[in-house]
Amino acid sequence: MKKIAERVWIVLILLSIFAFLLGYLKLVSTFVVGVLVLSTFLKGQLIIDYFMDLKEVRLKYRIIPTLWLILILLCITIAYYLPVVKN
Amino acid sequence: MPKYLTIKEPYPPGDFAIWIIVYVELLTFGLLFAGYAFSRRINLQMFNDSQLLLNQSIGFINTLILISSSFFIVKAVQKIKNETNENSYKSSIIASKWLLSAMLLGIIFLMLKLTEFSHLFEQGITLSTNTFFMFYLLLTMFHFMHVSLGVIILFNLHHKTKAQGYSQNDCRGLETGAIYWHLVDLLWIVLFPLVYIIR
Repeated sequence: MKKIAERVWIVLILLSIFAFLLGYLKLVSTFVVGVLVLSTFLKGQLIIDYFMDLKEVRLKYRIIPTLWLILILLCITIAYYLPVVKN
Repeated sequence: MPKYLTIKEPYPPGDFAIWIIVYVELLTFGLLFAGYAFSRRINLQMFNDSQLLLNQSIGFINTLILISSSFFIVKAVQKIKNETNENSYKSSIIASKWLLSAMLLGIIFLMLKLTEFSHLFEQGITLSTNTFFMFYLLLTMFHFMHVSLGVIILFNLHHKTKAQGYSQNDCRGLETGAIYWHLVDLLWIVLFPLVYIIR
């Protein structure tokens, strides 16, 4: 537990490398976008919980950035998976 | 004691005013993110073609930079919070070095972003080029301004920490600055895949 910040940092770096490789190797597909959104949620939640130090704070304070993250990523996912508007 | 019985902190770290700023910033950027995502649907081809002009590698390096600088700040805050009367001078010096490193990473971020902007401007790309670049420049320039302010905040935190201005019982100012920098990091965590990767 002592080295939790170090572990979080490593996970964040690994998830960022994963996201970059998906884009760099042009592997982004309909399915992969879902995975990418989930990995972004995980990264954001790690920052909220361990870097902003909200994990041990009352839920009413912790829930606001978490809800923001869920809502934004939901919007991005819905916008991506909705049928494309034809001009 | 079982984990679910641990007593939660009544208030978040840092000054309460910073949390008002955090919520307002999240709302503002959130609207821009949603605006980008839904505008993309209207002209998918144009968004995908324009995205190819961005440098994904710089975006990725900047992601690593912001994550690492946030981590350095966590280390600085931990150092101050865990100090004792005997090691307070040494703790302050070490914490100030973590803050200096975070600040330097912030400056590298800004320099890389300026390179990216100048490359786009050389190609004649402006806010009015198309909807993609309007959102791209609006989001990244707005974020750039936040990083610039963050670097100034880190500079001040570094100086005050070096002068032993914070202690285990009085580090609210340091926590407040740290929360601001983590906000900047959190925003980039969403911005990077949205603008650079998803297509």
